[in-house]
Amino acid sequence: MSYIKLNKNKCKSCYLCIDACPKNLIKKSNEIGQTGEYTVEFKDDENLCLGCGVCAVVCPEIAITEVYKDE
Amino acid sequence: MQVFNIPRAIKQNSNFTFCPGCDHGVAIRLVAQIIDELKLQEKTIAVASSGCSVLLYDFLDVDCIESPHGRACAVATGIKRAHRALNNDRFVFTYQGDGDFASIGLAESMHSALRGENITAICINNTNYGMTGGQLGPTTTMGQITTTSPDGRNAHYHGFPIKTAEQIALCEGTSFSARAALYDVKNILSTKNIIKKAFQYQIEGLGFSFVEILSSCPTNWKLSPKDSHLKIQNELTKVYPLGIFKDVKND
Amino acid sequence: MNKKELLKGNIAIAKAALNCGCKCYFGYPITPQTEIGEFLSKEMQQRKLAYVCAESEVAAINMALGAASTGAKVMTSSSSCAVSLMQEAISYASSDELPIVLINVMRAGPGQGYIYPSQGDYNQATTGGGNGDYRTIVLSPSNVQECVDLTYKAFYLSQKYRNPTILLVDGLLGQMAEPVEINDNPYQEIDNSSWRLDGANERPSRNIHSLEPNQNKLNRHIIELFKKYTIIEQNECDYEEYMTQDAKVILTAFGTMARHAKALCNYYREKGIKMGLFRPKTLYPFPYKKLNELSQKTNLIIDIEMNMGQMLKDVRLAVLSNARVAFIGKPVGDWLTEEEMIKAADNILKEQYASI
Repeated sequence: MSYIKLNKNKCKSCYLCIDACPKNLIKKSNEIGQTGEYTVEFKDDENLCLGCGVCAVVCPEIAITEVYKDE
Repeated sequence: MQVFNIPRAIKQNSNFTFCPGCDHGVAIRLVAQIIDELKLQEKTIAVASSGCSVLLYDFLDVDCIESPHGRACAVATGIKRAHRALNNDRFVFTYQGDGDFASIGLAESMHSALRGENITAICINNTNYGMTGGQLGPTTTMGQITTTSPDGRNAHYHGFPIKTAEQIALCEGTSFSARAALYDVKNILSTKNIIKKAFQYQIEGLGFSFVEILSSCPTNWKLSPKDSHLKIQNELTKVYPLGIFKDVKND
Repeated sequence: MNKKELLKGNIAIAKAALNCGCKCYFGYPITPQTEIGEFLSKEMQQRKLAYVCAESEVAAINMALGAASTGAKVMTSSSSCAVSLMQEAISYASSDELPIVLINVMRAGPGQGYIYPSQGDYNQATTGGGNGDYRTIVLSPSNVQECVDLTYKAFYLSQKYRNPTILLVDGLLGQMAEPVEINDNPYQEIDNSSWRLDGANERPSRNIHSLEPNQNKLNRHIIELFKKYTIIEQNECDYEEYMTQDAKVILTAFGTMARHAKALCNYYREKGIKMGLFRPKTLYPFPYKKLNELSQKTNLIIDIEMNMGQMLKDVRLAVLSNARVAFIGKPVGDWLTEEEMIKAADNILKEQYASI
């Protein structure tokens, strides 16, 4: 199973990862983050994550700290 | 299989202090990844300068010195030459903004290129003086509104912007000069390859290597991070075309 | 003992720098110090040391700043108006605690002035021409042999205290040849392994910076710097006394002017006036305590300088109300002649000595 680890404390709510994810697995959460905006969250109930890592590539804060790809 | 992790060359528990969506964080992460891949952490001395780029030493886990505004290439010259005199082989790069590299420090930057100083300079071009709140800088494009060009940059009144990567490519001591951007995944990955190449040219002792990176400044551009990237893609790359302007291996 | 050579001050400084292990020189030409860079260009290239004909003095001092961070011994040289250009980096290096040796072979100012003799950079050197609270160590030679000795000392003190150190040389001394012995460097090497930037190999990474957004940390940093300056002031004051033992009138002068002042002492001693000379060799730290002691035994101090009275302030601070302080000076041009000095001194002495 492919997945990512997201550190919400690092998220500055720029939402670049939301646009980047090809499977639309990253969305705004209900939690307010350090900039006063909603942070993002990763939800993958159907195991759709490809482990492609583009979310980590575009994140300017390294808030997506780990990406695992199913082999 | 883990395909991404925080680079070893990023300080543990450090958080970037840039504005939301600013590309500085991406650029520094790429630099850290390349330092890891080329195993440079133990032999690197990085030179930060004034502006948003100054806090580099808070994020990169390598030896680092801050230079006075614009003097990063001169400071890097001193470090590289001194280590050579001490019979040390050290990797030295600067991380500067466009105001730092191409305005206040243009003499130091260009003469380092002309001397073929065996260092690498990375210049983050966000077309304004970001840290002071977005004033007209050396790379502000024609018509661009800043706090000191309220009606937009005007050739008669403000003069013209500098195309840094092309200018540095004209210097005979330059081994590599390129412009890259970070507005999408493809470009981020290609920027990484370009920085890596610039680093490798220093390691091979080929002379001054330079990468200009078109970078977003959502706060001062008054655009969302996403729209900032669209602006780079649709507008800035027309003024500042991406590409490699000098490569001693191919010329 | 080494053989004596006939050397210009500029060449003597360059030779001494090489002799005590200077690894890096960065400079830009300006009269009257250009021979230092000319001489070193050949010698350092042969020895595979770091030498750069910099594009400006701004670049030169910043190359020195970078090189100093590696722990290598570093020197740059310049003159007056171009030393003004270097002040930003001197301020940075003071905060960064980087050992840079700066040779200032003085010419006349303000502005471009000219290459006439002058001692107009006392203020700039001792009180700092850059921004912020900081001090630089300032040494003042009065002959070519001292150019050698104090160059060694400048490297030593800069390394010992991790502080920029200025050798403030009169233009005429840079250009004047005298017999000189390039003796061995008498000072020990200072270990810099605890702070130099040579790559984070088997140790945590280090960074050197003056920027400090946390005001408490910045406060602490400056207070620590001033603790260091206090130690420098306690330990490093250096001076020369000439016939001060029984002196009723004491001249104060620095650099080459002190040699003229000695002639003046001899002249007035023949006339029955017990005159002596006090010459600070360290302009910072200024030897306030010693001059204060001397001033308690006399009632007249005459300060002589080739400027409009720059060291005069420090002399007054040292003397306080112990004695009257008079001044003889001239801003630029031909060095004060013996006749000019005697004429001026006669006028000052007349009030106390009826025989004049």
